[in-house]
Amino acid sequence: MSVARKALEMTRAATEAIVQRAETRYEAHRQEILRSTDRIFAWLMIGQWIFAIAVALIFSPYGWQGKVKTVHMHVWVALFLGAAIISLPVALAWRRPGELLTRHVIAAGQMLSSALLIHLSGGRIETHFHVFGSLAFLAFYRDWPVLVTGTVVVATEHLIRGIVWPESVYGIPNPEWWRFLEHAFWVVFCVSILIPSCRRGVRDMRVMAERGAELEALSENQWRNSSVVDRAAADTRGDR
Amino acid sequence: MERAPASDSSRLASRLARIGAAAWLLAVAGGFGVLWKYKSTPGAGGAVAPGRWPAGSAVARSTDRATMLLFAHPRCICTRASLAELARILARFHDRLDARVLFWTPREAPADWNTGDLWTSAARIPGVTVVRDAGGAEASRFEVATSGGVVLYDARGHLLFKGGITAARGHEGDSFGQERIASLLTTGAADRADAPVFGCALEDEPPARMARAGTSNRGGER
Repeated sequence: MSVARKALEMTRAATEAIVQRAETRYEAHRQEILRSTDRIFAWLMIGQWIFAIAVALIFSPYGWQGKVKTVHMHVWVALFLGAAIISLPVALAWRRPGELLTRHVIAAGQMLSSALLIHLSGGRIETHFHVFGSLAFLAFYRDWPVLVTGTVVVATEHLIRGIVWPESVYGIPNPEWWRFLEHAFWVVFCVSILIPSCRRGVRDMRVMAERGAELEALSENQWRNSSVVDRAAADTRGDR
Repeated sequence: MERAPASDSSRLASRLARIGAAAWLLAVAGGFGVLWKYKSTPGAGGAVAPGRWPAGSAVARSTDRATMLLFAHPRCICTRASLAELARILARFHDRLDARVLFWTPREAPADWNTGDLWTSAARIPGVTVVRDAGGAEASRFEVATSGGVVLYDARGHLLFKGGITAARGHEGDSFGQERIASLLTTGAADRADAPVFGCALEDEPPARMARAGTSNRGGER
């Protein structure tokens, strides 16, 4: 085998080693982000549940029928429906962090939490901002299909309610067909900015992983070379 | 061969997780269904209202513009949304309306019965007069059984509209009632002159006549 060919094969092997090392570093970094985001959402959802119960207890503790008071439906809804909404996302974040299903269930759960808070606040327009905040939080995953799941869940809830009970969404019983698009527009607008941002984040992670792998390979090479030189120097001293 | 059991258990866990996710979605959808049902069920009795302003009423009626009465339970949380919508209507039609909020006050009511934030909120709405409806006498005269029920009479004392001004129980936003009131005040006509009332019952037991009327008076369909 010629020296040139040997050198070429060694270079190819070194490049493959760097590529593999970069892939390992990227996967490790990605898993770290996915797992830490799962943990953040688990705590966030527990916090939201406690907040929903507090909202129900403070603002609508009782329902009245004349002089007779009973615990308001909102309190039971916040307690039990709130618990049902967060149960699976929190359990998956705890037991199966970093997995694909976990983050998609979390995205669905987060959007359903938004819907619950909107109901508990009596449909206040300000509470609808929770949807947009949640979409921004979901972008922490840097995994754009998660944003699609969140959007589909919020749109489905809106669509079903719009069909079954249109006045609760549009205020009128027979809305024009395009009213749904008007409501969906701002969510799509928000997601259309967040998706490229997620993709850019992934690209940056890859670049970081490649640079890290190159630096690692370079420093290992230098260490190996200096070891050879040191050994040679030691041998020379020993001969004398 | 050694890896097969691990792969089987992993497949089983993955399948169980998917089934769990589907069951979870169904359970949550069911929960929202119960909530929607509760919020979209009108109060029994709602607002029946006589065709002419009742002669025995102690409430002053305007003779140069329409008069709107909103009957409220001072502790009904759902009525907060009705007051918010009343404020929206008045912001638009303050020059065409005389509005009063009548707070239902039972006989032998505790001293702090009307001291909640609803009274304060109603009193803060520009152009609104807040009145105490002792023993629910006016609610009974106008045949309103549900908190949030509105009656609208013209300057001559003819009934223009009866019903609610929210789309659901304690839910702010556009509604049939508002749309119809706006249409009546601007064009003098509307597709219907009623709307469902969402809120707490004013009396422990609504009068039988109003309860019967309420069950057939959803006022939602056109």
